[in-house]
Amino acid sequence: MSDLLQLIFSGLSIGAVYALIAVGFVAIFTVSEVINLAQGEFAALAGLVAISAVGSGMPLPVALVVAIATVTVVAVVMERVTVAPVKRLTTLTSIILTLGVSTVLKALMLLIWGPEGKGLTPFPGGDLLVFGVSIRAQELWILGIAAVVAAAVWWFYERTIVGKALRACSEQPIAARLVGISPKLATMLAFGIAGLVGAIAGVIASPVYFSSWDSGLSLGLKGFVAATLGGLVSIRGALLGGVLLGVLESLVAGYVDTGLRDAVAFVLLIVVLVVRPAGVFGRHAEARV
Amino acid sequence: MGPRNARRLAAGFAVLALGLTACAEDAGGDSTAEDQSGPIKIGAVLDITGAGATLGVPERKTLEMLAKQVTAAGGIGGRAVELVIEDNQSTEDGAAKAVNKLVSQDKVDLIIGASRTGPSLAMRPIAESAKIPMISLAANAKIVDGSQWVFKTAQNDKVVLEDIVDQAVAKGWKSIALIRDSSGFGEGIGEMLTELGAPQGIKVVRTEKFAPDATDFTAQMVNIRNAKADANLIWGIPPAAGLAQKAYKQLGVTGAVIQSHGIGNQAFLDSAGPSADGLTAPLGRLLVADQLTADDPQKKVIEKFVADYKAAYPGESPSTFAGHAYDAFQLAVTALGQVGTDGQKLRDQLEGVKGFAGVSGVFTMSATDHSGLDKHALAIVTVENGAWKLLDANR
Repeated sequence: MSDLLQLIFSGLSIGAVYALIAVGFVAIFTVSEVINLAQGEFAALAGLVAISAVGSGMPLPVALVVAIATVTVVAVVMERVTVAPVKRLTTLTSIILTLGVSTVLKALMLLIWGPEGKGLTPFPGGDLLVFGVSIRAQELWILGIAAVVAAAVWWFYERTIVGKALRACSEQPIAARLVGISPKLATMLAFGIAGLVGAIAGVIASPVYFSSWDSGLSLGLKGFVAATLGGLVSIRGALLGGVLLGVLESLVAGYVDTGLRDAVAFVLLIVVLVVRPAGVFGRHAEARV
Repeated sequence: MGPRNARRLAAGFAVLALGLTACAEDAGGDSTAEDQSGPIKIGAVLDITGAGATLGVPERKTLEMLAKQVTAAGGIGGRAVELVIEDNQSTEDGAAKAVNKLVSQDKVDLIIGASRTGPSLAMRPIAESAKIPMISLAANAKIVDGSQWVFKTAQNDKVVLEDIVDQAVAKGWKSIALIRDSSGFGEGIGEMLTELGAPQGIKVVRTEKFAPDATDFTAQMVNIRNAKADANLIWGIPPAAGLAQKAYKQLGVTGAVIQSHGIGNQAFLDSAGPSADGLTAPLGRLLVADQLTADDPQKKVIEKFVADYKAAYPGESPSTFAGHAYDAFQLAVTALGQVGTDGQKLRDQLEGVKGFAGVSGVFTMSATDHSGLDKHALAIVTVENGAWKLLDANR
C-alpha cells in the first residue's frame, strides 16, 4: 500500500510540472492557434537562470523572481520578433517558427551554461515520512505552488476582464474584434502568460528534476501531450492531463517496467488523437470550430 | 474541434518528435594526404553534450591541455600534433558519423574515444575495418573483446565487479540488488555479477534499470526497497548515479550501498550531496591521490596530472574520466614517438605496452587483453563529509 502511495505521490509531483507547461500550450493556442514548441525551453531557461542567479549570490526568492521575469520577457520578445510580424499565420507556420526559436534557445543555453545538467538549490524545509510515504520538501513546494498558479490562472480567465477578453478571442475571434479586443495585444499577453507559467514550472522542478540546455525537450513533449488530453483548448483539461500523465508514468515505471516510463505519454497521445481528438476532458470544444 | 485540428495536433507532435533526432552538423575539417612527414593527426570522439557530458567535457579539456603540452615540447619526433575533437552528442549514431568523418575526411592516425560504452561499441567496427588504432575511454569489456585495433583505458567493468564481489565476501553480503544504467554502460552487468558471485554464494535478487538521463528514481527504489537485499549496487554515471543515491537515502532503502567506478567526479558529489556519505565504490586512485602512500607507482603520475590540470583550468579538479583521457593520450603519444604513424606498427606497439604507470592504473597489454588493467587498478573508496576517502589501496 505504501508503495502505491509513494508512486502516486511522486507521479503527482512531476505531473504538476507537466500541468503547468500544458497550461502554457493552451494559453497560446486558444488565442492565436499557435502551437508553441519553445514552451519546454521556457522551463529549462528559467531553471538555468535561477541557478546562475543563486550562484552569483542572490537569495533564493530574489533569484526565482529574476528567473521568472527574465523568461516572461523572453516569451514576449519572442512573440514580438517571430510571431507578430507574420501576416498570415497558420498553425503549421507557427510550428516551424517556434521550432526555430526553440533551437536557437537551446543553442544559446548550451553556449552559456555548457552541456552539464545542474539542480537549483532546494527550497527550504525538511523531508517528511507520512504513512510510510517519503515526501521531499521540494515536492510539497511543487504541488503547493502549482496549485496556487492553477487557481490564479483559473481566476484570471474566469473573473478578470482581461482574462475574459482572452477567452473571447479564443471562442469568438470575429465578435471579439468587433467589440474592440485587439488580437495582437491578446497574442502578446498569451505569450507572456505562457512564459510566466513555463518559468514557474522550470524553477520549482529544477531542484529535483535538474535543468540543462536540453531538458526542455522532454518537458515540452510531456506538456504537449497533457495539453492534448484537454484538446489543446481547455485549461482545466491541461491541468488534469498533466497530473494524470505524471501519475500514470510513475505507476507504469513502478509496476510494469521503468523502461516504459517515457512510452506512456506517446501511447496516451496516439489513443487520444484516434479516439477523442477533441480531448478527454473537452466540453468547450464544440464552441471552437 | 474537428479532424482538421486533430491533424494539426498530429503535425505538431511529429515536429516535436523530430526535435529529438535533430542534431547539428559539424563543419568539415580540411583533409590532407597521409604521409610520414606532415603533422600527426589524433582524432577524438567524445560525449561532450547529452547524457555523457560530465564525462566528455573534462576529457576534452584534458586532451586539449596535453596537445598543447606536446606542441610546446616540439611535437612528436619533430612532427607537429594536430588534435581533431568531435562531439557524438552521447549517441551511437553520432559516434559512428563522427568516426567516419575522422577516418575519411581528416585521415587521422589514431582515434581516441568514445567516453561511454554504447558510442564506443558503435565506433569499433569502423576503426577495425579502417585499420586505425582506437583507444576507448569507456568501461564495458565488450569494447575490446577479441578486437585487433581497439584498446581501452577505463577499468573493465568485470574488474570492477570482481572488486565488488571481494567486498561482499569481506562484509558477508549474500544478496545484492542491482539498479543499473539502461544504456551500454549497464548492459550485461547483472549477468556478469551473477556469474562472478555464484562461486561465493552471492545472488543478484533484483535488477532495476534507469535511462542515463533519468532524474526520478522513485519507482526503481521502491522495488529495490522491497527486495531487502544485504547490499544494493547502483551502476550509473553522474548526475543520474548521484540522484539515485539521493533517492536511495530518501526512500529509506535498507542494506549497504555500493556504487560503480562511474562516479569518479565532482558532479557525483554535487548531485548526491550529503546522501553520498557511507557508500562504497571501487574507484580510480586519482580521487584519493593525496591519501596514497609515497611508494605507490601511480602517485607521481597522478600528482603531476592534477597539478597540470589545475594550472590549465583554475578552480577545477580533474575527474577519473579526465584520467582515462590522459592515459589514452599518453599511450598514444608514447607509441607514436616510438614507431611513427604506420598503423600496423602503432597497433603492435600499443599491444606490447608493459608496466605503463598511468592515472587509471598500471597498464600491461597483451594480444588477449587490450584493456591492460586488473582489479588492482581500483582502490576501495568511500565518501565522508562530502569528500572521497580511501578505505583500501587494494594493491
